[in-house]
Amino acid sequence: MDALIELSHVTKRYDGGARPAIDDVSLRVAQGEAVAVMGPSGSGKSTVLNLIAGMDRPTGGTVAVAGQRIDTASETAVARFRRDKVGMIFQFFNLLDDLTVLDNVLLPAQLAGSRRSGARKRAEELLAALRIERHKDAYPARLSGGERQRVAIARALMNQPDVLLADEPTGAVDSATGEEIGELLLDLNASGQTLLLVTHNPALAARYASRVVELVDGRIGP
Amino acid sequence: MKPIVSAVAGTLTRRRVQTVMIGVVLLISTFAAVMALGLIVDSNAPFDKGFALERGAEVTASVDRSVATSAELARTARLPGVTAAAGPFAEADVTVTVNGKGGLVVSQYPMTVVGRASPGGPVDDLTLTSGHWPRTASQMILSGTILGGNVLGGSNPVGETVTVTSLPGRPRFAVVGFAVSVTASADGWVLPGQVARLAGSRTPATAEMLYRFRAVGTDKAVGADLAELRRALPTGAVTGTQSYLAVKVRESRTIALYVPFIVAFGVIGLIMSVLIVANVVSGAVVADYARIGVLKSIGFTPGQVVAVYIGQAAVPGAAGCLAGAVLGAVLANRLILGKTAIAYGVGTLAVPIWVVIATPVGMCLLAGLVALLPALRAGRLSAIAAIAAGRAPRAGRGYTAGRLASLLPLPRPLTLGLTAPLARPARSAMTLAAVLLGATAVTFAVGLAYSLARVNTGISLSNTVQLQIFPPYGPSSNTAEPVFSASQQRAAAAVIRSQPGTLRYVAESYTQVSVAGLGQPVVVTTFRGDARWLGQAVVTGRWYTRPGEADVPLAFLKQTGTEVGDTVTITVGGRRVPVRIVGEVFFTENRGLSMLTDWRTLNRAGYAAPPVQFDVGLRPGTGAYAYEQAISAALGRGYGVFPNKGRSTLLLTMIGLIGSLTWLLAVAAGLGVLNTVVVHTRERAHALGVYKAVGMTPRQTIAMVVSWTAGIGLVAGILAVPAGIALHHYVLPTMAASVNVAFPASFLDVYRGPMIVLLALAGLIIATVGALIPASWAAGTPAATALRTE
Repeated sequence: MDALIELSHVTKRYDGGARPAIDDVSLRVAQGEAVAVMGPSGSGKSTVLNLIAGMDRPTGGTVAVAGQRIDTASETAVARFRRDKVGMIFQFFNLLDDLTVLDNVLLPAQLAGSRRSGARKRAEELLAALRIERHKDAYPARLSGGERQRVAIARALMNQPDVLLADEPTGAVDSATGEEIGELLLDLNASGQTLLLVTHNPALAARYASRVVELVDGRIGP
Repeated sequence: MKPIVSAVAGTLTRRRVQTVMIGVVLLISTFAAVMALGLIVDSNAPFDKGFALERGAEVTASVDRSVATSAELARTARLPGVTAAAGPFAEADVTVTVNGKGGLVVSQYPMTVVGRASPGGPVDDLTLTSGHWPRTASQMILSGTILGGNVLGGSNPVGETVTVTSLPGRPRFAVVGFAVSVTASADGWVLPGQVARLAGSRTPATAEMLYRFRAVGTDKAVGADLAELRRALPTGAVTGTQSYLAVKVRESRTIALYVPFIVAFGVIGLIMSVLIVANVVSGAVVADYARIGVLKSIGFTPGQVVAVYIGQAAVPGAAGCLAGAVLGAVLANRLILGKTAIAYGVGTLAVPIWVVIATPVGMCLLAGLVALLPALRAGRLSAIAAIAAGRAPRAGRGYTAGRLASLLPLPRPLTLGLTAPLARPARSAMTLAAVLLGATAVTFAVGLAYSLARVNTGISLSNTVQLQIFPPYGPSSNTAEPVFSASQQRAAAAVIRSQPGTLRYVAESYTQVSVAGLGQPVVVTTFRGDARWLGQAVVTGRWYTRPGEADVPLAFLKQTGTEVGDTVTITVGGRRVPVRIVGEVFFTENRGLSMLTDWRTLNRAGYAAPPVQFDVGLRPGTGAYAYEQAISAALGRGYGVFPNKGRSTLLLTMIGLIGSLTWLLAVAAGLGVLNTVVVHTRERAHALGVYKAVGMTPRQTIAMVVSWTAGIGLVAGILAVPAGIALHHYVLPTMAASVNVAFPASFLDVYRGPMIVLLALAGLIIATVGALIPASWAAGTPAATALRTE
């Protein structure tokens, strides 16, 4: 099976860092797979996610997603790649406080220059599917943590990405809400959505991922 | 104390961009303020300042060397009333033709040439404005305010050739530069040994002596000094004198025309400096509120917090202020005040030392004050409130506008950016004020340049008169204005008529008359023939159409208490003639105590003034240079043939000065925008990371960041047009009124549709250019880095 995500001998060293954040990491994720990258704080798991999303550049090695080299692409190409191929979910949601729920969800489509009516229809469908349509005109500050993360998931899915990248998606919500978010991701994967999940929670990884990759001190563990 | 020092040092190294920005902004603001204050101060009695700096000659005396010996002249330097003397400098009156790179510049120009070994000296320390002092026998340096200012029409002086036509063999000199004497002590200077060959054998050797006296200030005091000087020399030794008071009156009239606009520019510069400093320093403190919260949470007292934030603004601010004062003093003297001095005709002007000291002190105090207010507020906030205030604008601000903007049919990055200023209304208002002032300065400056060009055309009539012809002007006729004799007049008119390139011409005469009830003489300019084509600017009323009618300037009307439509009685040659005033004209000669009329008006009194010049208009397509050559050859030796270029060095200098000041103000405004965007970018760094994470491209990021201030720029530009036009319409009549002149509406009506549209975009351009650099930084920051900023 062809890999949707392929990291080959990737190293990332930050300025002034004594040791690399990740060191010679190779990873393949197939289409439709749900993979959890697990490890303690500082192990480099968020760095892996950032490199796959093209939000950061590796110091060495290659990163390819959906057949496209991310490590060598221009900033504009990487931005378009992120917009069209990747959906990102963050631990602290990263919603824009000055935009309504609907406007937050619409943003990726608007940046892609999608037709206004089509984008709005898709956003409303997503909000309905995630059971937060009643909050579409609210600002994120008025929502609970779980509701905010659902908005973030809706935004991540807006442009029908090839891969969904989730960085500690349940880290900032209570356990019950975390369960709900986890189930939601599981449902998405069941419908064919490729999922790469970063977490330090072994239980979450075991329950919602079909494969777990462990990072220790920037290297993939045994 | 140590925690405060550590915290200040930490901020300075961690926030390098902010540190540099505060330093640079205070540097530029102090520089602009030094320059603006220098201009304002120097525009108050610039002649006196230039005169003091150059140790100008209070009396310039021409002495006959055949009567006074060198020893006798040397003794005058030791007279009790004399404090300094220079000379004797040999001098000669010659007539020259100046050839430039593009051909003949001026023909048959009378000038006084003085021999000096160097420009410096205890009296009349000349200012070299371009080129160098003559080094060889065949080099000459010209006066920048006399020959260069009025005749060369802004031609590049260096490299041109002066041919002395009044001497056999027509010796030639290379022009090696321009110099300014504050009292216009000569029209040109050569090495001392060269004057003998310029003087010729027929004229007596004369020399120039320059004096400064213990008691001056009034005509009476200078008169007493002159009497002392004459007594010390043999009878008849002093053949002519010039008092600095006469030069001062003459120069002050010219200077007064430009002072209001210079002061207006200076005031705008000062206000902008203050606004930008307030914007940058307070913005820097507000942007660091989050860190204030952190400091408080680890135990800093409110007083310590205030000290830290005053310190982090004060260290780079003080460095910027000092550097700005030094740069301001040096560069303002070189770049701005040098030009201003030329415009004022005083050679040298300098930023007063008190301005160099007081301005940085004032700017530092201002920076401290504007840092103190937000720091005091931060000191009173709780740690958590400070952290919250520093991370984001107050929730809810601009949200509604943002929602409405999202409905606009514009790309999303633009609608996101356009409403961003509403989140920080105070900062946006400061930015708008800075851009508004910058754009107002641009609107004002453009209008001023156009108006000055029209004023210049109105004075020179260069649109209609391409050539002026003067009667033979020999070295012996320096004391009285030469006139055309009847035969010369007929001959000249015949030659002019015979030239195929002649479209029209008219002869001018000047006659001094007295007007009933007016204590001062009035100069009447009379025209032989139709003079309507000259296009003399009529302010109100109409141009005269028959003998007995006349046009006069505002000064005449004011001083005689008359109005257009009144009749005045003039007395010429003892006979009285009634003259009806039919129009008010823009005319600056004789301080406006002038009258323009048909020659037959004076003829009614039996007086026929001989012409002093012919004004010639050429047919379209006629080459002025070829015409000059042809008519010079046809008239023969002695006649003065002057092209009327209408491009005075003074005008070009003023337009250059306007350009320099406008650039500086626009740059200062752009810097204010740059700072706003830097602060805003830092504040919105996390949001920028989110935008990037969801796919905003670098180009879209730049568009969004630029549109943060583009809206402000557009609004400021639109407001700046009426503001600039209002300022223009206020300052120009003030300029004119200060010298008792009224401008016709055409001089003020310079703003046209397309120009107004372009000027309205000035604010947008300033805002866009100012935002581009930080926008590029924002676009180039990796998304992960931006997201980590929080």
